[in-house]
Amino acid sequence: MKTAGLSLDQAPPIGVPFAFFLVAPLFAALAGGLLLWQGEAVLVSRWTPVALAVTHLLALGFLTQIMCGALLQMLPVLAGSPVPRVVAIGRATQMLLILGTLSLSAGFRWGGVIWLTTGAGALGLGLTILIVAVGMALWRAQGVRQTVIAMRLALAALTVTALLGLMLVAVLAGGSSLSGFAGWVDLHLGWGLLGWAGILIMGVGYQVVPMFHVTPSYPSWLMRWAAPLAAIGLLAATVLTATGRTDLAIRGMGLSAIIFVVFAAATLDRQHRRERPRLDVTLLYWRSAMLAAMLAALVWLTGGRAELTGVLLLVGVGVGLPSGMLFKIMPFLSWFHLQHRQVAMRRFSVRLPHMQSFIPETQARIQFGVYLVALGLLAAAAAWPGIGLTRPGGLALILASLLQSWLLLQCWSGFRRFRLNLD
Amino acid sequence: MPPIIADAFTQDHHRCDHLLAAVETRLGDSDWSVISTAAETLIDAMNHHFAQEEESLFPALAQVLPMAEQPIDVMRGEHAQMRQLFAELGEAVAIRDQTACQGILETLHFLVQQHNHKEEGVLYPLADNALTGRAAEFATAIADV
Repeated sequence: MKTAGLSLDQAPPIGVPFAFFLVAPLFAALAGGLLLWQGEAVLVSRWTPVALAVTHLLALGFLTQIMCGALLQMLPVLAGSPVPRVVAIGRATQMLLILGTLSLSAGFRWGGVIWLTTGAGALGLGLTILIVAVGMALWRAQGVRQTVIAMRLALAALTVTALLGLMLVAVLAGGSSLSGFAGWVDLHLGWGLLGWAGILIMGVGYQVVPMFHVTPSYPSWLMRWAAPLAAIGLLAATVLTATGRTDLAIRGMGLSAIIFVVFAAATLDRQHRRERPRLDVTLLYWRSAMLAAMLAALVWLTGGRAELTGVLLLVGVGVGLPSGMLFKIMPFLSWFHLQHRQVAMRRFSVRLPHMQSFIPETQARIQFGVYLVALGLLAAAAAWPGIGLTRPGGLALILASLLQSWLLLQCWSGFRRFRLNLD
Repeated sequence: MPPIIADAFTQDHHRCDHLLAAVETRLGDSDWSVISTAAETLIDAMNHHFAQEEESLFPALAQVLPMAEQPIDVMRGEHAQMRQLFAELGEAVAIRDQTACQGILETLHFLVQQHNHKEEGVLYPLADNALTGRAAEFATAIADV
């Protein structure tokens, strides 16, 4: 008899995921700051030092930070398996992730072997702690099979991304050369964006898309094959890069990209057929992110500017999708923890606020609007470099991130206020 | 074990999901007699589901499988939370407060989803294992609406 899933009360303390969620927007604001300060230089080429700094502030500081917090929160719920010593693991991972991202980005922007190696070391250690802890939980996980498989593959992809990143920093810092350096960089970002982020989005999407808006399930063939095939494409690209066939390696990643396009199309179709009528801000963010992903694939497969693909994936998907999810997840976690407390303390005289009062929908919609302006300006700046849209785009990204930060802090302070009432 | 209990009770969960979405759809029309009927239908359906679980399935399961008592307690607690939200929904419909209705339905929807996830993933499979001989009886009762 299976008993591991019997304990139904395994969620981590609310402070663990919230710490990740509350700090992440500051990194997007920082990326916006670099865009505002450096202007056109950022999007002229993906290889400029400042472009690399902005990329890592968004990919690690924003996206990976939220994904780590969400994994620690979701594993007990979606996969029936809690992460061991979750408070200590969460704190250590987050500290190292923050330090590592800042140091690595500073190293890219201003040069300096010490910053690059400190950053890589902190990130390597922080991600190792996370990978081991989450890996142990996923080893025992039951839950819905396709989601557990996708989570395992995403974690493996994070491991490969981190190892490739460490290797690239070693080459940069050591001043040595690596044949086919650009191909290895492509492989690093392929595993990061299509593997770690893309596969995790698919696995989580299988569960939350039908659940959030009452839509039909994803087709079973898609759920069975999408994540494994995406991983096989990346694996093929790795073997081809290692054997010097970088021209063919691109095709392996092309396979993964096409799979994500199919997932995006299926998602838009499910959401179109949803039963819950409201077009809430989470749904708006999902739609813009899926469209951005499809557009990114189109630009990439037709040989368009890599910088535009980067903006669409990093800002369109990497900033957009987690933002939409946070506007739903943080109010629910706040309400749920308060509810739990209320039952435990038997304080039924205190009437709890509903989910929507933690983050008012109107304000969230304004934030989405500012975010869309940022995405539009930055995409245009990347498509047509030199027309002077990078600085306005950076400014809009700062505003969107600070507004998001303020809304999330409001949710947190609302939670704390009611928590005090219950004690 | 064939998932007879899991399938029947999961199907009833989906029936309630559709009814909740229907109340939200009706809210858009602002016809309060229709909204009120839709809300009552939802509340009746969920109360029927709770009754089948609390008065029939859960006691039978606890009797043959004492280790299921702790998760059953958690489920009963969440049912009580949902009943609290039903009361609030009834009040909001009575005073025709659309925003409050939306907020309550959103909260109820999320509470229901995470609750169903646990029942479908843990409790129903346990029940199918432990109550093999009586599975059809519970499945028929939950489908009888």
